[in-house]
Amino acid sequence: MNKKKINWGYFGSLILSVVLALAVGAAIMAATGYDPLNAYHELFRGATGCDNLGQVFTGLFTKRQFGNTVEYAMVLFLTGLACAVGARAGIFNVGGEGQLYLGAIVSAYLGVVLNGLSPWIVIPVAALGAMAAGALYAWIPGVLKVKKKVNEVITTIMMNSIAIYFCAFLSNGPWKTSQPNRVSGTDPLDNVYRFTQLIRGSNLTTAIFASAIIAFFIWYVMSRTATGFEMKLTGHNPRFAKYLGLSVDKLVIGSMVVSGAICGLVGMMEAYGVRGNYQDGISNEYYFDGLLVAMIMGYRPVGIIVMSFFFAFLKVGAAGMELNAGVPGELYRIIQSVVIFFMAAEGGVKALLKVRRAGKEGAKHG
Amino acid sequence: MGNIFTTGLFRQMLRSATPVALAAMGGLLTEHAGVMNIGMDGMILIGAFVAVAVSVVTGSAALGVLAAILVGVLVGAFFALFVVKFRSDEFIIGTALNIFAGGLTVFLLGALFGVRGTLRTQAGLPTVDLPLIDQIPFLGEVLSGNSLFIYLTVLIVLIMWTLVYRTPWGRWLRASGEHPGALRTAGVSPEGMRWQASLLCGAFCGLAGAQLALGNVSMFSEGMSNSRGYVAFACVIFGAANPGKAYLAALMFGFFDALGYRLQEYNISSNLTSMIPYVITVIMMVYVVIRGQKKKAAV
Amino acid sequence: MEKIVEFSHVSVEFPGVRANDDVSFSVNKGEIFALVGENGAGKSTLMNVLYGIHTPASGEVFVKGEKVTKFDPKEAIRRGIGMVHQHFMLVPSFTVAENIVLSREPKKGILCDRKEERRQVADLSREYGLEVNPDDVVGDLSVGLQQRVEILKTLYRGADVLILDEPTAVLTPQETAELFAVLRRVVAERGMTVILITHKLYEVKEISDRVGVMRRGKLMGIHETASVTAEQLAELMVGREMAPTPEKEEMTPGEAALEISNLHADNNRGQEALNGLSLQVRRGEIVGIAAIEGNGQSELLEAVSGMRPYRGKITVNGGDISGKTPGEIRKLGLSHVPEDRLSTGVDKDASVSDNLLAGKEKEPEFSAHGIHLHPKAIRSYAQKLYEAFDIRGAGIDVTAGSLSGGNMQKVVIAREMSFGSQVLLIAQPTRGVDIGAVEFIHRQIRTQRAGGAAILLSSADLDEVLSLSDRILTVYEGKITGEFFPPYSKTEIGLGMTGTSKEAAHE
Repeated sequence: MNKKKINWGYFGSLILSVVLALAVGAAIMAATGYDPLNAYHELFRGATGCDNLGQVFTGLFTKRQFGNTVEYAMVLFLTGLACAVGARAGIFNVGGEGQLYLGAIVSAYLGVVLNGLSPWIVIPVAALGAMAAGALYAWIPGVLKVKKKVNEVITTIMMNSIAIYFCAFLSNGPWKTSQPNRVSGTDPLDNVYRFTQLIRGSNLTTAIFASAIIAFFIWYVMSRTATGFEMKLTGHNPRFAKYLGLSVDKLVIGSMVVSGAICGLVGMMEAYGVRGNYQDGISNEYYFDGLLVAMIMGYRPVGIIVMSFFFAFLKVGAAGMELNAGVPGELYRIIQSVVIFFMAAEGGVKALLKVRRAGKEGAKHG
Repeated sequence: MGNIFTTGLFRQMLRSATPVALAAMGGLLTEHAGVMNIGMDGMILIGAFVAVAVSVVTGSAALGVLAAILVGVLVGAFFALFVVKFRSDEFIIGTALNIFAGGLTVFLLGALFGVRGTLRTQAGLPTVDLPLIDQIPFLGEVLSGNSLFIYLTVLIVLIMWTLVYRTPWGRWLRASGEHPGALRTAGVSPEGMRWQASLLCGAFCGLAGAQLALGNVSMFSEGMSNSRGYVAFACVIFGAANPGKAYLAALMFGFFDALGYRLQEYNISSNLTSMIPYVITVIMMVYVVIRGQKKKAAV
Repeated sequence: MEKIVEFSHVSVEFPGVRANDDVSFSVNKGEIFALVGENGAGKSTLMNVLYGIHTPASGEVFVKGEKVTKFDPKEAIRRGIGMVHQHFMLVPSFTVAENIVLSREPKKGILCDRKEERRQVADLSREYGLEVNPDDVVGDLSVGLQQRVEILKTLYRGADVLILDEPTAVLTPQETAELFAVLRRVVAERGMTVILITHKLYEVKEISDRVGVMRRGKLMGIHETASVTAEQLAELMVGREMAPTPEKEEMTPGEAALEISNLHADNNRGQEALNGLSLQVRRGEIVGIAAIEGNGQSELLEAVSGMRPYRGKITVNGGDISGKTPGEIRKLGLSHVPEDRLSTGVDKDASVSDNLLAGKEKEPEFSAHGIHLHPKAIRSYAQKLYEAFDIRGAGIDVTAGSLSGGNMQKVVIAREMSFGSQVLLIAQPTRGVDIGAVEFIHRQIRTQRAGGAAILLSSADLDEVLSLSDRILTVYEGKITGEFFPPYSKTEIGLGMTGTSKEAAHE
């Protein structure tokens, strides 16, 4: 509402935490017998396709690896924003993974069933189907939380497992492809329905444009509208929101539903982009990666979008690091979670110091 | 169709339930202390990894278990440092801990053992035959010859119940969560109780991981905790943090997990049957919360 | 006289506040010592120092001649200090016995000796004539009984100095009388020392031997209770002659804007809090509710604002509010200053500007079609209110939580009074607010009255109710027990608040 001022304190501690986390990553590599410098160089190469900074300025946009990085950033900022939409109104959607799977399989199935129709019909229908599937699946824990006060963290986590197994059942059973050379997954989508590759050989497709529009829309709703304002008040203090006359229940459930719809849509983008059908393991805990980004950025939309690119860089680069330096790519998850620990520690230490300083000043005063 | 309720089903029930029950014993301590421990899943995973890794290196399952417990205590201390000392958000730290555990175990699997996915060990926890009981038809077959910790868990549940409800320490623990001010003004630090609960919870989760990896199978596999930490949390809620009731809830989870395995023999997709315990857990959560509200309204 | 507790130049600091400033006095063994002062005068802080919860920034404390070096409740208990806090320190799910022995349980091996603890508690209860059932669950007990458990707890720990923080605030008159009898008994028969924190002067006169008066963290003086009048104490407390009821503009009240008839509602514990209450508030009139805490006044205001279910009939500006949400009731023209600003009245994590805007975000002035916000209009509006209501802080962009209590309250008042509502519910308008802000807030309330608003006021501060109200209703146990018009008789109103003038109410 007021002019956004950059919170420099937050920014500083973020940078510091990221640097320290990278240092921890290096220390772990050194301790386990890897060469951290070489590993980070391979990570850089793996994420950008460039050997050095010079190449970044000349050839970045043609690099396959760079395309993959941008594509994963898209996944991260969409899932991260999905998480933030819920968290802003005070409900933690940890079930995005399941919503993503359901969105993926529903949209893929629609694409198979409607095969032959114009892409102008099929793609919107598939997108709406994916969003509806994700939204409905998020609506359940949302209603349980609001009406019955059932902790949404546990229900959504459990519902992740349920959805993933259920999708696996469908893709290995009733919705399994009839093509003899595939063991599981739905029928491949006709090429006319798939998002077009932007960089040859990379995962980056035209879905990025749709994602950008969606991200802008979410940012706009959260930061510039009366509804976003009401979501914020509800998330901070639901009793205050109720007292003010806001429809707290609707806001919370609505946020959860929107969060689920976005996750469903990410599933559709994966199926219609990179994969070309639904297959098991279509998301390798993508949602949790996005959730961490959202947490690190304190659920701030712009921060999430920016930070997604950095973590996508780490994640995609980690694959290259594994391939060329032999360092297990999971180092990425370690670094990501360590950033959170550092930020939490910094906040905690600051709070402790504040209490102590207040005590000391008092002593001096006497 | 043959009989579904075979001895195999009930033996599998005990196998599935035990790691969950052990973790739940830890989870109910933090729950009593007023700490929401979402990070149990990661604690179990680390415990499972350490147990297998140490037993591979030393060839001893016992050392593996011991190491898992010790590392569990360390992870518990790490958790308490943030949640108790720094007063960070329990949910954020717990979630980050789970993701950290997932990353760390897979990383170390590759870095230390040069494998991806799974690490097998020759060591396993001993099984115990119960004399006399093994003579009883059916029941004897179910109850005898199980892994050591399946029996120890029953003992642990009894000890935990006594500890929580019959010792001064247990009272302080419960007071620290329910009314910290009452405990503080009585001269006992609630933060101290939360620390102790967190450390013990880490130890139990480490043990749960060890049982999962060395008792049920003899290997570590990527992400093998498979949301059991959350199931344990649900058991704690379902059992109102009472060790006996939480154990029953874990047995229920074990039963449905085992039922899923059994149903696969009837050509029901394993993907469908694997859903069962999770569906049951959600239903359990919803049921217990709604029942709690009805009770409150009736008062 | 033997000094049992002595404070010597004690100062206590909290971030931004000096809660105690160079306080020196002593309490004698075997006396009942009253410590009086307004809210926030530093009485509780000082006693929390004695109980080891706060550490003084400077100065010394002596207990039984020994200097206290470590401020820690455990240490205080060891020295024989016992404290009954205003908010009880009892574990609701524990039994009476379990609560009393907490932290010093009798043991049998490593287990609690439950038989022994029950016996000890029963003995203690008999010895002091404080009747309790050791096996009752504390959460099920009445407030009076819980307080008794608190006193027994301190006795069990061997306390001979008993501190009671506002012990009568939550008690019925009978319970208060019982408590005082107990206190007299333990002093006379057991040689105990009692320190009583209160702001009720008639209690001071009734029970204490000596009285210390605090104002804004400073000790204003110590007096023999017998040699000082309530008026003199009051003067010391507030620092000047009690302001005479300010001249109010004569207003002829208009039609009724808020009508309540036969209202029933439950409190949070499911007990009946309102028992067939009826009242009316007319335009241009301030109706004050005078009641002791816990007699249904909180539930009354919550029911009218839509925050609490009720049975009966309530109309706001002629519209029945039954089944309406707080938002719909607000649209009928109602605003509400809630009694607990931190939990209900503000979003302390949002900015001051957001808090001032809250509730108006969909008005055309601030958002296009109730969607797109106009940051410029919002800023200038917030800035205008910030200045008009004399809010003092680091501007409108800092979080509301960073403001002092008084300024936070001004944010609430500013927001609620700027809706232009014809019905205003105002609860505890100046609780924890500094003197300067009190005057300001009172002026705002009168301005609203002059503008024709119908105002229902409820406050724990009786003087506030007396000075603002055109008409006072006393409420006791969820019912109206009397109606009073100026000039008010404090005695009669006091009787109404304690339920002793039921007949008078229906004359």
